Amino acid sequence: MVAVLSEVQPDPRSNLVEIDRASIAFPRSRGRGTVIAVQDVSVSIRRGEKFVVLGPSGCGKSTLLTAIGGFIPVTAGEIRVDGKVVKAPSMNRVLVFQDFGQLLPWRTVLGNVEWAVARRWPRNSAGERNMRAMQYVELVGLGPQAEQYPNTLSGGQKQRCAIARAFAVQPEILLMDEPFGALDAINRERMQFELNRVWAAENERVTIAFVTHDVNEAVHLGHRVMVMSRGPGRLRSLVENPSVGSPPHDGAALRLVEELRELLKDPV
Amino acid sequence: MASTDMLESPPKRNALVSQLLGAGALKKLIVLVLLCAAWEATVRLLHVNKLLFPPFTDVAMRLAMGLGIGAGGSGELWSYIWETLSVILQSFAISIVIAIVVTGLAVSNRWMREVLSVMTGIFQPLPSIALLPMAILWFGFSRDSLVFVVVMAMIWPIASSLTVGFATISPTLLRLGRNYELGRFSMMTQILLPAALPMMISGLRVGWGFGWRTVVAAELVFGATGNGGGIGWYINNSRLFMNISDGFAGILLVIIVGLFTESIFRLIQYFTTHKWGTETF
Repeated sequence: MVAVLSEVQPDPRSNLVEIDRASIAFPRSRGRGTVIAVQDVSVSIRRGEKFVVLGPSGCGKSTLLTAIGGFIPVTAGEIRVDGKVVKAPSMNRVLVFQDFGQLLPWRTVLGNVEWAVARRWPRNSAGERNMRAMQYVELVGLGPQAEQYPNTLSGGQKQRCAIARAFAVQPEILLMDEPFGALDAINRERMQFELNRVWAAENERVTIAFVTHDVNEAVHLGHRVMVMSRGPGRLRSLVENPSVGSPPHDGAALRLVEELRELLKDPV
Repeated sequence: MASTDMLESPPKRNALVSQLLGAGALKKLIVLVLLCAAWEATVRLLHVNKLLFPPFTDVAMRLAMGLGIGAGGSGELWSYIWETLSVILQSFAISIVIAIVVTGLAVSNRWMREVLSVMTGIFQPLPSIALLPMAILWFGFSRDSLVFVVVMAMIWPIASSLTVGFATISPTLLRLGRNYELGRFSMMTQILLPAALPMMISGLRVGWGFGWRTVVAAELVFGATGNGGGIGWYINNSRLFMNISDGFAGILLVIIVGLFTESIFRLIQYFTTHKWGTETF
């Protein structure tokens, strides 16, 4: 059932993101030299797939995601989105953070989504903006909370709002950096289910790159799971996941979870 | 729905009232009444010379007359209030603009940051009223001198709290701004300023407090030279003509206006940072 691909099959038309021998290094905060966060990673993300980057903390998976977003530069290699080299952040690549503080506290739930929509399509009328924003607020189930300020929301509701905002601007790719990492277990499972639902409701055309260290989350969400190893962050393997979206106790899903757990163990 | 609305609205109004008056408003009012009564009783029972220390009722009466309340009131105090307020409002506006510009530069330039930090360090501990003699030398006995010392009193606390406000903005919000391709100006107006607002408001409060003290003090000096026309001048003039009750009325007025502006700041907070849950204290 589970196919482990030894290498990425290039298909320029279906690939949205191409990471080409990318390395990312930071200057050490004390002393000289650099810390290598990501080393020589080559992988492609297909259009319309949910691509999960799985790895232990400190393996550079968030760094890689942030680089796809254009927030930090690669020190070697190249990251291309839609054939163009990524140089700066863009509304075509929207990041959703783990931090609950990613909403503008001075705007309501609806106001936050409207703000993003207005940034994306500045020429649209206020009415169009409002309709579009409301549509996405309702899509994530926050209709009753639309006029509330973020400080009155629970953690899960805040992340829903952030997801609504990100989907509303129709980015080419949605970059999610452990968005459910700070939620309790019950809410996390609910949000994973919700993300699959919203993605399906958007006609399965939004590409998502999702970073997590949670194996169950990876199997529930990802069409493909890229496993990274630590120190420095490298591509360990790339796994096709036929049981994406299946219930958590599905047999094939559990087998894949076991397999990924093995892959995550540090090589001796 | 209707029943929950009815349940929810009274606490909301109380929240506004307590935000305006501070907690325990009723107890504070009682303490205030007791203090006034004690003042009145002490003066009357101990037969204190009214020329030196008038009883509360005399002062309250003079204050009411000065404000044009009741029969025979002149209402002259209003013009003094306005004179003082116009100086401090003008200085406030100047200080805010300068503080925002300077802090904005300091945020984007390492050298400017050091310049601002050193300047704040130098002028923060200096009571700007000490600059008044120089200001008089430069600008004469004019309104400009007043504005100068008041600006010097206000600008440093405003700038330093604004700096802290900018420095403590969450990196996530800055990333959000970059993600949505904000330019320098929109980053300032859409992210930095609203995010720094809690610190900014407390800076403005402190700045206003400094400015209010300074302007009254400066007017006292002007009063000593028989020039100008604000509340401070009025207090000093009353002493000069031995209208001590008027002088006390002026002092009460300084306190009342100070409290009133304080409640305006609370009101602004109630409709912004309090509502957003970003209040700092």
